[in-house]
Amino acid sequence: MKKQFLLPFALAAAITASLSAPAHALDLGKLLSGDTLSKGLSVLSNAGEALNTSVKGLTPEQEEALGHNVMANLLGAAPLMNDAKVQRYVNQVGLWVAMQSEQPNLNWRFGVIDTPNINSFAAAGGYILITRGLWDRIRSEAELAAILGHEITHVTQKHHVKALISSKSQQAGSDLISIVADYNSSKSGAKAGEKGGKALSEIFVRGLDKNDEYVADVNGMVLAARAGYNPYALVSVLQLLGSVNASDSTVALLFSTHPSPQERLDNIDQVVGEKLEGYADATENTKRFNQVKR
Amino acid sequence: MTRMFYSLLLLSSLALAEPGTVIRKTDLRDKPFLDAAVVGNVSSNTQVDIQSRKGAWMQVKLPSGQAGWIKLLNVRTSSGTTSSSTALANVIKTGSSGKTVTTGVKGLSAEEIQNARPNLAEVAKMSSYAANSADAQKTAQANQLIAVQVPAFANSTPTTAPGSNIYQERRR
Repeated sequence: MKKQFLLPFALAAAITASLSAPAHALDLGKLLSGDTLSKGLSVLSNAGEALNTSVKGLTPEQEEALGHNVMANLLGAAPLMNDAKVQRYVNQVGLWVAMQSEQPNLNWRFGVIDTPNINSFAAAGGYILITRGLWDRIRSEAELAAILGHEITHVTQKHHVKALISSKSQQAGSDLISIVADYNSSKSGAKAGEKGGKALSEIFVRGLDKNDEYVADVNGMVLAARAGYNPYALVSVLQLLGSVNASDSTVALLFSTHPSPQERLDNIDQVVGEKLEGYADATENTKRFNQVKR
Repeated sequence: MTRMFYSLLLLSSLALAEPGTVIRKTDLRDKPFLDAAVVGNVSSNTQVDIQSRKGAWMQVKLPSGQAGWIKLLNVRTSSGTTSSSTALANVIKTGSSGKTVTTGVKGLSAEEIQNARPNLAEVAKMSSYAANSADAQKTAQANQLIAVQVPAFANSTPTTAPGSNIYQERRR
């Protein structure tokens, strides 16, 4: 219960910080200069500034509070798969990959949620989930490592926080602003915290910036390679996703929030191409994968 | 002996058959290496059966029946080759393993995320499974994983200005 208070508090703190630090006005100017902001956000420029500040300036505690709220909401929609062996295994692999990232010491937590849908999710603070539908379909630990590397990149590069202020998710930005307003006008912090988790979960429904998905693919391959896996396992995952009927309900959310698997493969083709082939003969699969996957 | 060979061949192609389309003209090699012998060539738009993958390579079978290796990135799979019945089969498979209880084919939809009630206990449970780095390193080593230095792609890092098109820059 106590943790729910953290979110509105964090936002209020971010506003206070931005008001006392005019250096951020530069970023705000950049933000307001394009057609990237909705009218609504422009009107609420002070709150917009607070959001912009939050992209670079969230403390680890604030990120944890945001991620915690978002995860509570997502896990409310689909709980963890009831298999401790699988959950521990995914944490071992996930942390090993995350240790090769820019934030090896973040409080990384991984899990498999019980839904036949094919998807994966990340939230600030180091929370990462993949669905049972995706887990069932992957064929090697290298494929798992590449998927987790993609999600780890969303966390380390703060793509979700960034998406909140982008034109694509004006509504989430406004929601966030209204949460701040709610918090300021009443003392019901817990209620606002709950609403915060919901508003921020909208990112999972609306999707991130398309470019950030491409960035996460390329850097996910790099992280997998650093961890000793064949990075081209991400190519086989995307080929697998490409073979699923797009009208299938299990991929509806994934396909509506990401560039198509073909577009993502074309991007990897152009950006990575043969450049990681020196690492392609690394580990494809492990004993532990075969033990847990049965 | 010959019959056994054929039945094995049939078995493996049944197990791994996965259709794909070659997107650019490429050499067909007898092994998954750049210096392996070229045994033929594949023209753009050829439909192939994906048989296996190794590193950056993929073993394919051409419509002519000829098999060999081409680069993974030369192949795209097409939507619709795996139907929802396969997805359903996966659900049944998982359900029958006894590990999970499948309450229906209902998936994790946008509506379900929007209408969810926060589950704090489940977040605590998720955190309880977290690994520590010493352990992650030890188990990785036990599974023959060796960390290596790999430079990040300079242009895979987004610029700070919203709306700048990194993808366009990359395509140049």
